[in-house]
Amino acid sequence: MWRTGRKLVGTLWADRKARAGASILALFVLVAVLAPVLSPYSPTATSFARSAPASWSHPLGTTGSGQDALSQLLFGTRVSLLVGFGAGLAATSLAMLVGVVAGYVRGPLEVVLGFLTNLFLVIPGVPLMIVLAAYLPSRGVGTVLVVVSVTGWAWGARVLRAQTTTLASREFVAAARMAGEGTWRIVWHEIVPNMVSLLAASFFAASTAAVLAEAALEFLGLGNPATISWGTMLFWAENSNALLTGQWALLVAPGLCIALLASAMSLVNFGIDAIGNPKLRER
Amino acid sequence: MRYALRRLPVLVVTLWAAITLNFVLPRMMPGTPADAALGKIAGQGPVTASQRRAIEVMLGVPHGSLLSQYWQYLKAIAEGNFGISYTYFPEPVSKVIGAALPWTLALVGTSTVLAFTTGALLGVLAAWRRGSRLDSVATVGCTFMTAFPYFWTALLLLYALGFVLGWFPIRGGYSSSVSPGWDWTFAASALRHSVLPAFTILISGLGGWLLGMRNNMMGVLGEDYVTFAEANGLPARTVALRYAARNAVLPSATAFGMALGMVVGGSLLTEVVFGYPGIGYLLYNAVVNEDYPLMQALFLVITVSVLLANFVVDLLYGFLDPRVRR
Amino acid sequence: MAGTPGELGAAGGRRGDGVGGSAPGGSGAPGVGAPGTDGTSSGSGGRDGAVADPQPAAPVVEGEPGGHPQRTQQPLLFASGLDVVYEPAGAPVVHAVRGVDLSIDPGEMVGLVGESGCGKSTLGYALTRLLRPPARITAGRVVFDGRDVTALDQGRLRTMRHRGFAVVLQSGMNALNPVRTIDGHFADVLRTHRRVRGAAARQVAEELLGHVELAPTVLDRFPHELSGGMRQRVVIALALALQPKLVVFDEPTTALDVLVQRAVMDTIARLQAEVGFSALVISHDLGLVLGTADRAWVMYAGRIVERRESAALAGAPLHPYSAALLACHGDPTADNVQLGGIPGSPPDLSVPPQGCSFAPRCWMKEPVCRNDPPERVIGTGTVACHLAPRKLVVPRALEATVLASTAGGMGVGQNSTDGTATYDGRAALSAGPGPGASDGPALSPGAAAAPDGAAWAVRRRRSLERVEPEALVLQDVVKQFRTARRTGGRAGGRADGAWPGVGRARSSTVRAVDGVSLSLEPGHAVGLVGASGSGKTTLGRMMAGMDRPSSGTIRLGGLRVETMRSRDLPRYWQRVQMVFQDPYAGLNPVHTVGYAIGRALRNHQRLRDDRLRSELHRLLEVVGLTPSGQFSAKLPHQLSGGQRQRVVIARALAAKPQVLVADEPVSMLDVSLRAGILRLLDELRRDTGVSLLYITHDLLSARLVTDHLLVLQKGRVVESGPTASVLRSPSHSYTKQLIEAIPVVA
Repeated sequence: MWRTGRKLVGTLWADRKARAGASILALFVLVAVLAPVLSPYSPTATSFARSAPASWSHPLGTTGSGQDALSQLLFGTRVSLLVGFGAGLAATSLAMLVGVVAGYVRGPLEVVLGFLTNLFLVIPGVPLMIVLAAYLPSRGVGTVLVVVSVTGWAWGARVLRAQTTTLASREFVAAARMAGEGTWRIVWHEIVPNMVSLLAASFFAASTAAVLAEAALEFLGLGNPATISWGTMLFWAENSNALLTGQWALLVAPGLCIALLASAMSLVNFGIDAIGNPKLRER
Repeated sequence: MRYALRRLPVLVVTLWAAITLNFVLPRMMPGTPADAALGKIAGQGPVTASQRRAIEVMLGVPHGSLLSQYWQYLKAIAEGNFGISYTYFPEPVSKVIGAALPWTLALVGTSTVLAFTTGALLGVLAAWRRGSRLDSVATVGCTFMTAFPYFWTALLLLYALGFVLGWFPIRGGYSSSVSPGWDWTFAASALRHSVLPAFTILISGLGGWLLGMRNNMMGVLGEDYVTFAEANGLPARTVALRYAARNAVLPSATAFGMALGMVVGGSLLTEVVFGYPGIGYLLYNAVVNEDYPLMQALFLVITVSVLLANFVVDLLYGFLDPRVRR
Repeated sequence: MAGTPGELGAAGGRRGDGVGGSAPGGSGAPGVGAPGTDGTSSGSGGRDGAVADPQPAAPVVEGEPGGHPQRTQQPLLFASGLDVVYEPAGAPVVHAVRGVDLSIDPGEMVGLVGESGCGKSTLGYALTRLLRPPARITAGRVVFDGRDVTALDQGRLRTMRHRGFAVVLQSGMNALNPVRTIDGHFADVLRTHRRVRGAAARQVAEELLGHVELAPTVLDRFPHELSGGMRQRVVIALALALQPKLVVFDEPTTALDVLVQRAVMDTIARLQAEVGFSALVISHDLGLVLGTADRAWVMYAGRIVERRESAALAGAPLHPYSAALLACHGDPTADNVQLGGIPGSPPDLSVPPQGCSFAPRCWMKEPVCRNDPPERVIGTGTVACHLAPRKLVVPRALEATVLASTAGGMGVGQNSTDGTATYDGRAALSAGPGPGASDGPALSPGAAAAPDGAAWAVRRRRSLERVEPEALVLQDVVKQFRTARRTGGRAGGRADGAWPGVGRARSSTVRAVDGVSLSLEPGHAVGLVGASGSGKTTLGRMMAGMDRPSSGTIRLGGLRVETMRSRDLPRYWQRVQMVFQDPYAGLNPVHTVGYAIGRALRNHQRLRDDRLRSELHRLLEVVGLTPSGQFSAKLPHQLSGGQRQRVVIARALAAKPQVLVADEPVSMLDVSLRAGILRLLDELRRDTGVSLLYITHDLLSARLVTDHLLVLQKGRVVESGPTASVLRSPSHSYTKQLIEAIPVVA
């Protein structure tokens, strides 16, 4: 598993798009970690003039409640990355569990899991998310993370399930059975290591979706409006009619960051796609 | 037709599961949404016993066993009795939704089909001329376009084309100066109001279809039957469309059904930004006002619509791929 | 039997017809002049002179100038100095075709043979301009009918395909658009090239299908509703719709069932005679090529190393590689059957060759082979070998890898316990001519090495220590499958040609195995032969405990497969193991050889640490993977197909089984590697007393490694008996059909 993982990273780095994506991603991580150092002010300080236009002291202006927008943007990276990677990880883990089990076992469990996957696949995610978030009384980042994970695992499960079924029918799995390997060992040591690139792909796909979903929830005001995140920045900007007052930076900056982060993840995924499907490789 | 009949049980079971999920959700949640809803509605005006009953059936107040609650719930759904709305008091929920549904169906239906067809066609073109300028511009451009949140694209379009340039109205489904009806002034007004939301859905969705179709094409172009068609000296157009694209569209069609849920979600957000009088904006209002009866019914309607659309796509797939027929 | 003199005679007449038919076209190219082979052979002659040949060989029989001295007519297609490279991203450039000159005359049928990776398909694609990036023609030209094809733009090329060249692709299985009816395929081609539409087009299509012995109803079908053989016939008919002057057949029958293969090849030969097109048949199967083509080219490492009339090549090959390939074929019904193998593997084409590319695998190599071999004209053919035309003695070293069969006549009439024959066979192998056995390893370190005596002795003792071996007994075994298949039937499931079977009735259950009884005695080797769909693989899987029979019993001592619970199966697998067909799918790409075998040792023999390691190395040595230390750390992709199959066998042996079920263990390997694996299986059986169930469609290999044979048809045993007698005097018509389907060399 370690070996295939390392090979994956090597092949990824050789792909131009994936390299660009990974670089952007690394930059965001760096910003998230160094936010306190990079930010000129505290993101929650409300001591500045309200709705001030961009200036040297406030490159992106200030919000309607007098906070420095740049500082908010920098700190907001943390929430987006946290929800993105966190929900990506949670959704992929769930997808792997459901997908691999449904792909390998036979019988009623397979049918039930398969049906659940298909159900969650066709149930529209955003409305479900909205409804879930509306019913839940506490609306912190944790809630958003859970809601986004619960609605985002099905696609990965479906792909992983198909791949597991394919791998399980390969002769090396039959050979491993005949070599006396148990079911659990076959799943984890024979099948899963062959799906590393697929797992990585579903992780990045789920993370991309999570970043966008988190922004959407916050934008609708279904998160905690007191959190500092790109989504809440958009929420407040929209609420204070920032566009109409000419403070377009308040809307454009967080939106661009979301788009850039999501694109970076998609770019990495292009590289992973190319590994699984050599026909897509760049020449 | 046998193919359609074989698919029917799956649809029925999925519908049942969605309806049941809708029954379970409010009952699983902390607190009693029904009481909260009734409390709010009571502030608006008098609630009749039957109205109270309907809301309790839908959202769950522990009267009797869970099983009998479930039975009542199913009966209520069959009758279309979803209770009354708080936001639009004293309108019944079914009437409120009935008024909003056509707007969404027209807007989202048209723009999604349009996005799929243009995206797929451009994807075919990009793959056929792989490595060309068109290909690289399209793939890179679409990667970014799909990464833009729907609502953000909507906001930017609203600002640029609506507010700054003033080409299109920025809010609503039709101008307040016309009254809804089957006449030209209304139709023209509705059309003008739908341009920006439709355009948002189009450009946000297009990229995904383009990239997907391009990927499928790249796979299909390596197939023997494409090489053989070329070896038989068939015109490039025939090879590209009838042999390559015709097969590449199959996985895209499957993906179309499954991505519908996502598209609908995105479209809902678009409606919110433009204040478009459809299902999405309604859902947003219901959530903001904690109008649980309306919210629950909306979720059900959205889910069922997507399931039905999926079923239709599934049936179309049978026509596209002879291997799954019979 | 193929290649009868009568057919050759017909070929001659055919050529005449072809000339008449295409003469106007040919004369339309006055500027072409002499084919390129001319210049090259004189050029190489010069090089030849420069090389100091240490011992002047027999005088080179110089023919008339030109590659094909006796042909004076204009060639239909010729290529000169053709170079093709693959330039994949992030991988070394592969020089797949190097400086190839060739010419094909109107109306003749040329065969192109070679092992996989020799560049033969690439050459076929280059000649027909179907190469796709990253492959590219870097030098040379291809002139077809007087026009340089390499210089044509796509538009011109497209129009040229009509009345020009057509291609029948490798395994026509996927050459048809899955969502288009057969009618649609014809309509596209006919509309484009012949401007025929509608009812007229349908009529033409029906006529074309008639040529390939298919019913008109096929037109309304989708590709997935047809069997493999029918699909390939449709592809041929589509190629004919172009009214081509040349058809390139790229492995036309490879994916097809044995019986169907023969029928399709016969159709191709008949059509070629009737229609008069030229044909280039590309195949890895020398027997198939020599049986049908007028001339044969042997390709190795991107070059054509020998070109001869088929009969001449079959009778007296000039290049050691051709001779060795020829030795990989044989007649399973002959008195004395021998099989040769070529040690080593083809060279890496991304590395420029140093001298003769075949030298590393050649048993005759001399210092002069360090130089690039010239292409010499000898008689009516050419050969690229320094040593030609030295008489090619079938080399002793190769004889060492030849497997002695259960000596011809001796096996006849005996029943399954033909101990004498078995004993004789062993004696011939081990006590046979000394130089033979010892030359093998010297030639091919690690590849086809024979285990040394000490290892044999150890194994024999071990097998004696085991519990008394028992027979694997099957009684009335039935396996039924419910047909949930949507497709019209499994591809190639039946003998092709019975065309009205298109709309066959779909039954709800299929009896893949229908009441089979057999007993596999300890130390015996039983062959299971039949066409695809005969149920042999299903039976093998049940015997290996991978599937349960629907009814009947499978017993090994106290173990009964039909009632065994899943968790008891490992106990069965300690005694019965399986060697899989596909060496590429049989090993997990992420695990090393040592891991794969080590896990089996751990689970079945409960070995740990040092004892596990030493047993692992011993096993690797037994299967000839030396030095074992090096091999145990390798990943599957670093091994050749033959080496992988040896790993698969070693893993099966790790359980110390009493029974080995080998399902087509060599069918996916190049012919040159088959002998080595078969020899290994045979030795294992003789040395360790393991019994062998050998499943195959290849009667030759069955003759060589089994002493008893069962012929399976539609899940039933239709004939059984000692291998040699079944093959030499078959009583059932199906067995006779199988024997007749074997292409006969010469």
